Amino acid sequence: MYFQKKRAIAMLLAGGQGSRLKVLTEKTAKPAVPFGGKYRIIDFPLSNCVNSGIDTVGILTQYQPLELNEYIGNGQPWGLNKTHSCAQVLPPYERHDKKSGWYKGTANAIYQNIDFIERFDPEYVVILSGDHIYKMDYAAMIDYHEKNNASCTIAVRTVPIEEASRFGILNTNPDNTIYEFEEKPKQPKSTNASMGIYVFNWSVLKDALINDEEDPDSSNDFGKNIIPTLLNAGHKMMAYNFDGYWKDVGTIDSLWEANMELLGKEPEFNIRGDERSKIYARNNALPSSYIDAKAKTANCFIAEGTEVYGTVKHSIISVGCSVGEGALVEDSVVMPGVVIESGAIVRHAILGENSKVCKNAVVGGAYGPTDKKKKISVTSKGAVVEANTVLLPGDML
Amino acid sequence: MNVMGIIFANDGEIGELTNKRTTASVPFGGRYRQVDFHLANLTAAGVRHIGIISRHNYQSLMHHIGSGEEWGLELGEGGLEFLTPYSMSTTDNYRGKLETLYSAMDFLEFGPQDDYVIMTGSAIQSNMDMKKLLEAHVASGKDITVVTKAGIANGAKQLDLAVKLDAKGEIADMAVDYVAPEGYLASMDIFVLSKDWLIKQVKECVAHNLYHMDRDLVLGLWQKGQASVNVYQFTGVAMYNESVEEYFANSLALIDSEVYHNVFGGHHTIYTKVRDRVPSYYGEECEIDNCVVSDGCMLDGEVKNSVLFRQVTICAGAEVENCVIMNDSVVGEGAKLKNVILDKNVTVAPGAKLIGTKNNPIIIKRGESV
Repeated sequence: MYFQKKRAIAMLLAGGQGSRLKVLTEKTAKPAVPFGGKYRIIDFPLSNCVNSGIDTVGILTQYQPLELNEYIGNGQPWGLNKTHSCAQVLPPYERHDKKSGWYKGTANAIYQNIDFIERFDPEYVVILSGDHIYKMDYAAMIDYHEKNNASCTIAVRTVPIEEASRFGILNTNPDNTIYEFEEKPKQPKSTNASMGIYVFNWSVLKDALINDEEDPDSSNDFGKNIIPTLLNAGHKMMAYNFDGYWKDVGTIDSLWEANMELLGKEPEFNIRGDERSKIYARNNALPSSYIDAKAKTANCFIAEGTEVYGTVKHSIISVGCSVGEGALVEDSVVMPGVVIESGAIVRHAILGENSKVCKNAVVGGAYGPTDKKKKISVTSKGAVVEANTVLLPGDML
Repeated sequence: MNVMGIIFANDGEIGELTNKRTTASVPFGGRYRQVDFHLANLTAAGVRHIGIISRHNYQSLMHHIGSGEEWGLELGEGGLEFLTPYSMSTTDNYRGKLETLYSAMDFLEFGPQDDYVIMTGSAIQSNMDMKKLLEAHVASGKDITVVTKAGIANGAKQLDLAVKLDAKGEIADMAVDYVAPEGYLASMDIFVLSKDWLIKQVKECVAHNLYHMDRDLVLGLWQKGQASVNVYQFTGVAMYNESVEEYFANSLALIDSEVYHNVFGGHHTIYTKVRDRVPSYYGEECEIDNCVVSDGCMLDGEVKNSVLFRQVTICAGAEVENCVIMNDSVVGEGAKLKNVILDKNVTVAPGAKLIGTKNNPIIIKRGESV
């Protein structure tokens, strides 16, 4: 089989459990968690790749991969199924030299797929994760990397100093070269947080991965091992500033917030954008929505195949849902296929895929705009809130 | 039992809506083109070899269907074939379907694995189980099955082909281009025939200067006793979009929970070209009552009893009632629209007022500004 040489390919780390999303990732890998009415988290990095001209993406899966594999399929929704493009799912496998098994860490996952990368003989490899909501032109970052003749370039964004100790912090010289990397420092020296997006010269990364694998004390992780080692070895490493919208949706609260940030006349994250930054998703082939005469809709996203007979305010209603007569959905994220029966009240909640809120049940609670801590109620995939029962604020089912 | 499908893309006209497109590519039902319903009916029955016969204006149709991958028809062999005048042996001067079929003989004769042919026009929309239809045709042992619908004949509408059954279910009368009284069954322009029989009859007819499918092949051969005809009655919703008035009424009829579920939630899913629009945004002040709404809309005004296609913008203060608004159209602030069809990409200026009637809706042509 003939493989075309590529300037850059992307490797997308999609194997993490996402345990802080609790019941939402019990049966689903985090990148496959629904977002924004018709998307899944992985649509964002995948669409960014396509919009950046990267047509070869390796997707490393490990935790609960069934749904994710099914979703990616042959890569057709993202145009990654052509003669010289691919979206290749790369699960752990057994190797002849026994240097295999479960992916031990992010670096080990790439190490185990050196053969896949070598087939394309790329100049650069872009390392991405399936945890974030953002639009970014990776091609501009690769150009920056190339222009600066760097071995590795890391995308950074400025975070508030009080939050800096939650991130990997990059300390840079005035010319944006990195002189120090600190993983979650207690006393951060700067506010340049790593976004977990790396561009490597493949030759440099390949050697680093092989050396790292030899080290029995390494935890085979990019942040903890590969980046500090390359820095210590004197490689030129650059920080690439990104100031667009970027959100880690690794917790229930941040997932809810990120969904809410799509709403409004001038939303914090404008998912519409132009044709060149379009987000692609696997299509559900559902009809247009049906909005009944009794329905009330205000400041909400409603995706296709949904029928609304009740009231929806400040919420995301995904594809294939129904909101019954007299029901109220407010400040909530309703994932695909959810049924909300008549008279039910849903506030400050995330309703997992195909879950059901039966007649007159109450989920979550009301908060004023000044209430700081809103407790989000969550239903897991397929859960049923029985008729006339209550799921308290912050509770999960 | 293999079946091939033939869709006639150009038959029928819907006023200005078909000025620059085929009947098959007229947008219908919020996110579809009419051809989607026919492709869905055929592919859901396992038909994997489909020819689309198109005589003119087919650019938008080809753009819509592409390789056919949305319908699972992007196959190496069989799959989808566009039969346009240049890909057929003769020129554009067909007088009727039989001449068209004659010039598409290469397509018909190719694929000896196909035993039957399902032919359909593109003006009448339904969600039909064609597997059941095929089984009924085979069980009948007749030469032709004509798919019909009761309740369409009303003494005013001219039917292409009308059939009347007697008490025993035998054909008592058959007529072409006929303003049939109530009680007649209207053809849905869908026929099932064995492929060999169809090829033979097309050659015979054309050799005798006969070209009209309904008149010469169905009615003519039946009258001469040379063809036996099975009448299949479809019981689901059938939408005859054969005039602007009918198209408009049927579009608005979809905004009825029962009709919506029969057409969209019926026997099978209806696929269409994927456009990757974002979900529709309903603004703080919008008032949306009794509407069918597609992806990518921005809704800030008041919309009642209307069908909105993809990426429609209704600005604040606009009032829209009984309208069909196609892709990418914009209704400006404070504009008032009643009984209007906006074709694709129309811009209605702020404050503009367009008032049509139910029987005579105003049509604004594609790309125009008013």
